[in-house]
Amino acid sequence: MALCMDSIDEACTKFKHEYDSCFNKWYSDKFLNGKESDDCTKLFKRYQHCLLKALDKQGLAKMIADARPAIGSVFTDPKDADEKDR
Amino acid sequence: MRLFEATHIFKHDWATVSLANWRKYPNDQTPHVRHVETLHQDVDPETGILRTERLIMVRQNVPTLVRRLFGGDTSYVLEYSEVDPRKQTMTMQSQNMTFSNLLSVGEYIAYTPDPENASHTLFTQSAQLKASGALCRFANKIEDMCWNRFKDNAHVGKLGLEQVVSKILAERQAMIVPQTVLT
Repeated sequence: MALCMDSIDEACTKFKHEYDSCFNKWYSDKFLNGKESDDCTKLFKRYQHCLLKALDKQGLAKMIADARPAIGSVFTDPKDADEKDR
Repeated sequence: MRLFEATHIFKHDWATVSLANWRKYPNDQTPHVRHVETLHQDVDPETGILRTERLIMVRQNVPTLVRRLFGGDTSYVLEYSEVDPRKQTMTMQSQNMTFSNLLSVGEYIAYTPDPENASHTLFTQSAQLKASGALCRFANKIEDMCWNRFKDNAHVGKLGLEQVVSKILAERQAMIVPQTVLT
């Protein structure tokens, strides 16, 4: 069994792995110990940008937006994710 | 409609189990969970609560009849979670997005310290399965079948989490014990 999970879009896998490993470390070392820090924010932005574009391409973005209210999610997609790269 | 409810005690502290939950996939027990993507994540500046939205892709071996009925074996689930580090609670809510016009599965999960033993973690799970639309005539059968599958998945999910906890503990041990065998 692989150590890491690949992204739905191959192009995002590297960004995902970098973010996931940063997050796991931040979660136990900083977050749970009450230390404020944004160690992984940049890595997340890069991964998220790639991912949201991929989901849009695969036609999943609308389905996700529609399902949000059912799970009480506070999030909405950033405006720039709606702009198609052509 | 069918309800699935379960509780379980993990004999590890909440911090370890909640970390294991983030690192849960991939594990040998749940090969049906193919992708887990973080769509959004932030810390609420007012409450200090970590909020996360994830997309989960599941591909499961199902009987041909079911595959035909549902039009495939790949499904997507959306999950929203909150972690309050001060209260030591992790709660997750999820909903299937694929086939949801035929069968809706809404799940709620919580990890909290065990009230009877603070060094253990209490896991609470409840799910509501509801067949609708074209499947109404077969609602009971479909719900029963999915309830059974849900129960099996819940079981391997717990085994998977235990496996990840063991891995985390082994990593911590390796950091404490000097690695004299390394050349």
